[in-house]
Amino acid sequence: MLLGAFEDSELEPNEMQEVAFHLARCESCTGILAEYSTIGRDLRTIAVEPALNGFSRAVIARIDQLPQPVLTRIARAFRRQVDSVSSGIAWGGAVAAVAVMTIILMTPYAEQLANRGPHSTVIARVENDAAPVTPSEPTMADNDSHADISRLESENRSVAVWSEPRRDTTVIWLPDQP
Amino acid sequence: MTLRPGSLTFLIIAMAAFGTPGLPYAQAGPKPVNVYIDSVMAADTNEGTDPRLAPMGQKLRGLFGFSTYSLIGHNEGQTSCGKMIAFTLPGGKILHVQPRAIDGDMIAMEIVLFDGTHPMMTTDLKLKNNGTLIVGGPRYEQGMMIISIGASTGATPPMQAQATPAEVNTR
Repeated sequence: MLLGAFEDSELEPNEMQEVAFHLARCESCTGILAEYSTIGRDLRTIAVEPALNGFSRAVIARIDQLPQPVLTRIARAFRRQVDSVSSGIAWGGAVAAVAVMTIILMTPYAEQLANRGPHSTVIARVENDAAPVTPSEPTMADNDSHADISRLESENRSVAVWSEPRRDTTVIWLPDQP
Repeated sequence: MTLRPGSLTFLIIAMAAFGTPGLPYAQAGPKPVNVYIDSVMAADTNEGTDPRLAPMGQKLRGLFGFSTYSLIGHNEGQTSCGKMIAFTLPGGKILHVQPRAIDGDMIAMEIVLFDGTHPMMTTDLKLKNNGTLIVGGPRYEQGMMIISIGASTGATPPMQAQATPAEVNTR
């Protein structure tokens, strides 16, 4: 009974050992086992192996056609959505990064183009006798100017600052006090 | 090799993080700054524009409404960031110019104008390379004094008066 399983190596290790010991002493069983081996070999040569091209694909297709539980279908649809959304986020991030880089690199040129106005711009004018330009009132030039003034201090109460973009010039006017 | 969107994003962010901030520092080093000062008297005496002021005279006529522009002094000197340079101007005026940093095409500097020992005006500004700042208004003889302050980091000076060598004061 055990010889067929022994031939196919299907026995537990202790059973394999027992059969092997028995075969060493029993010529009859050894002959039967030899016959089993011969029959097995002959069967393998006779049997035609079917072609397995596209087998796995066909199996998966069949599985897909089987009716799935509702929860599995929902989970599968959700997974597909997540995959497409994360791909979209990655592409969106790439596009946003390119846009940010473009803005960073192009902003100075855009400002230059936008500020080619023909007019001169008064940046600051202090004509109030009670309000001299002091450190607490920094005078900032606007983007039209070719000079960007971050601080202007003067005891003069009538300081005026303006820029002439067409002439690449910023003017600080300090009229003498009366 | 496949370029996935995630790796493309990382590449762009890495370029932005490490590439862009390095640009201003590419010009590090003690770069010389040339400072050019023209002192002009402007008045309404119908004497026209001093020919030595060309082409600056045209700019002055466009900016102000005077009928007379006369060059009364020209100074120039070379300094570098952190080093103050002083100019003695007509009418007892003294001008201190101290470049602080060169940031791309802009020169950050502090300018102090003195009337004798009394400071008339102090300003911190960024001036475009080869750009001009005009400080005007103080009375001078029969008109007003206009001081044109130009700065450049290269060999090309900003638009200035065409003073003869004898008229040029270096500081």
